[in-house]
Amino acid sequence: MTARKSLLKVILLGDGGVGKSSIMNRYVTNKFDAHLFHTIGVEFLNKTLEVDGNQVTLQIWDTAGQERFRSLRTPFYRGSDCCLLTFSVDDNQSFLNLSNWKKEFIYYADVKEPENFPFVVLGNKVDVTERQVSSEEARLWCQENGDYPYFETSAKDATNVAVAFEEAVHRALAADDKADHLIPTDTVKLHRKPRSATACCS
Amino acid sequence: MAELLKVIFEHDGIFLHPSPDEGSLDEDLLVSGFIRILEKDSEILVEYRPLEDSVDPSNILCAGQDSSSVVEWAQCPGEKSQSRQLLETQQSYETEWDMVNAVSFRKKNYTNGEGSLNHSHERSRWAFSVNISDLRSITVKDEGWAFLILQLKDSSSSLPALHFHQGGSREFLDSLRRFALLTECPEDETCLLVSTPNKALSQSFENLLDDNSFGLVHKFKRDPYVTTLGSFSKVTNYIYDALRGTEEQQQRPPEEVADLLGEVIPGLEINQQEEPGFEVITRIDLGVRPPVRRAEPLYADEWSKLQDPEGRIEDEVTLRQRIFKGGLCHAVRKEAWKFLLGYYPWTSTLEERKSLQKAKTDEYFRMKLQWKSISEEQERRNSRLRDYRSLIEKDVNRTDRTNRFYEGLNNPGLTLLHDILMTYCMYDFDLGYVQGMSDLLSPILYVMENEVDAFWCFVSFMDQMHQNFEEQMQGMKTQLIQLSTLLRLLDLAFWNYLESQESGYLYFCFRWLLIRFKRELSFQDVLRLWEVMWTGLPCQNFHLLVCCAILDSEKQKIMEENYGFNEILKHINELSMKLDIKEILQKAEGIYLQIRSCKDLPHSISTILGFDTERRVSNQTDPGSAPRPVPQQDVCSNGHCRENRPQNSCRGVFTS
Repeated sequence: MTARKSLLKVILLGDGGVGKSSIMNRYVTNKFDAHLFHTIGVEFLNKTLEVDGNQVTLQIWDTAGQERFRSLRTPFYRGSDCCLLTFSVDDNQSFLNLSNWKKEFIYYADVKEPENFPFVVLGNKVDVTERQVSSEEARLWCQENGDYPYFETSAKDATNVAVAFEEAVHRALAADDKADHLIPTDTVKLHRKPRSATACCS
Repeated sequence: MAELLKVIFEHDGIFLHPSPDEGSLDEDLLVSGFIRILEKDSEILVEYRPLEDSVDPSNILCAGQDSSSVVEWAQCPGEKSQSRQLLETQQSYETEWDMVNAVSFRKKNYTNGEGSLNHSHERSRWAFSVNISDLRSITVKDEGWAFLILQLKDSSSSLPALHFHQGGSREFLDSLRRFALLTECPEDETCLLVSTPNKALSQSFENLLDDNSFGLVHKFKRDPYVTTLGSFSKVTNYIYDALRGTEEQQQRPPEEVADLLGEVIPGLEINQQEEPGFEVITRIDLGVRPPVRRAEPLYADEWSKLQDPEGRIEDEVTLRQRIFKGGLCHAVRKEAWKFLLGYYPWTSTLEERKSLQKAKTDEYFRMKLQWKSISEEQERRNSRLRDYRSLIEKDVNRTDRTNRFYEGLNNPGLTLLHDILMTYCMYDFDLGYVQGMSDLLSPILYVMENEVDAFWCFVSFMDQMHQNFEEQMQGMKTQLIQLSTLLRLLDLAFWNYLESQESGYLYFCFRWLLIRFKRELSFQDVLRLWEVMWTGLPCQNFHLLVCCAILDSEKQKIMEENYGFNEILKHINELSMKLDIKEILQKAEGIYLQIRSCKDLPHSISTILGFDTERRVSNQTDPGSAPRPVPQQDVCSNGHCRENRPQNSCRGVFTS
């Protein structure tokens, strides 16, 4: 059987203005626009990458962060393979809100085993000099909330953005392997089944 | 003399699957043909004709020959049959090859010329024509495609099943509903009972439905067809996917997303149930879209001539029409927008406007002082104000930053944008600041170049847009439902396609509607579109026709590329900055004229576009004000006036 292209859905969540769209654009187009509009509604971009010799299409979803738009944002959580919880290191409130974002995601994404769901935490805007959140605080939160990988990123100067997404891909694939009752290994292999297969045959 | 024959509906790619025991010579034979609904001497006929059929009435062997239900094929005038023959030669190959590609049926091979002749003769056997008053029922089945079994009233033999391999069964049933009531059989939900209550076809079905004897239609909980096929739709998708060899693994999530969005926008379904015309009048003949020309923008000298010596606008109606057709040149905008937005009354004198402006300036700075004078301590205890301020600061830094008015650091435009939005929070603290509002303010401030005027013009615009931003986003839901209703009427095939891709509630238009195309068009084009919309012409909710115009231009791409839920959303999002304002406005006005000239317009459409309000207004004799098609200040442009709308105090100045 030939290698099958696989599709992973990754969603960026976090307060308005933490840089979700900028992170997505940096990763997909390798560009940064300091004056990018704030997102209205829901958008997504695709990026194809190779993992262990297999092609994976990453579908990155970006949403409007304001509370008011919750009801029109949350339907898109379904089917996510990984969630990137994002805050800005120069905005303490956005860090405090991480747990709310996590809760919102778990609730609306209808995650079967929340404790095993792959979250990745991004502390963005590390290029800014006036920090309100220290690395230690952020790491501690990640440790206490499910041992999530933490990346300090800067969409502006491209720091850690690609690394963070690659980690997201590996976590998502690993979680999927576990879900398929396969022995977890250090090397990630791609043998995802088409989602539609089960529903189709039933 | 040729008989009067009107084709109401026509769809090709309809196949019969005759089995050997039905007398077919070849078990692999698929009969390809087209279906029509015809009006002939006030009778409505359903006709099936195979392709590759010489148009010779004597060839027709009607199914159910002994039944009175079968009427003879009426020959069209010669001109028509010629064009059909042309059509046949073009389509006969394509249609079958399409089939092979899409559903992998075996294509019949003709080994010799004789065979193909016989074949042609053989095919003519399958033509039939039946009066709908003789139909007892239509059974809707699904095998990855829809097929319909027509059952006659007074014949035990049924007609061959019609396989809609290339879609169109829904459109066919929708067309049929214009002439007959199709009601779900209580024992079998796949079976629709056909009843033709009245032969007077000209009678409005809306009137018919008001009649108590047809009350069952009102109680009809679900559109039977939607229900019937809905349960098959997922299966259908899987089959199509399997045959297309798609590698897409995201089939399920988009559907789930769609289901959830359906819950978020529940009105869509309710609306369809409540709309009495829904089951019957779902498609009307709109006629040809008339060509529309835009005019030159209104220039400054023209503008100054429109005022009397004291500064009153003399002919508001003509002026609105003029602005609707051509927009404004930039020099006039600063003044004219104040009238269009209702900040200045049309009938005010220059003197009155000066005193109004003075009063408004005081009022503005009183409110501005309120947030300016809040101490850090106070703000620490006011989380809502803090959140508003924080988001305003962030969004001001990312609103139209490439525009000269807002570009660079420390541009005074940024401070003004910030201060007006903060003051609006004081003006309407319940609403506060919601993302999208900075997009609505930016062009107004750019045109006004004045903090106070920009604020009050923004307040007027927000009066129209308020519901979009409220907690429950009722304005957004209402507009999505209204747009869906309009699109269904204008383009049922496209609407059905969107529905089949779980996109019938048009979520992908969210950004268009929330901020009135602000992100879709270049800055200058936004100014043009908005001033055109603010005229309130040619009808209420014209912006929904603008949506329809854009969708009309995109539907071919969307359908040809077979875009799914995600691709549609992406495609629409990526139209941003690629749209041509002139083309859109011409098309939208053309659509308006089409709808306007339509005689049997469903009530729901008249309501959305304000035709019914308009009639009432024009019947009134109001000596105080000149008649105008849509009283913009009285009817919110989203067709839904919010309750307890704050009194726009600028109107009070002149009445008190």
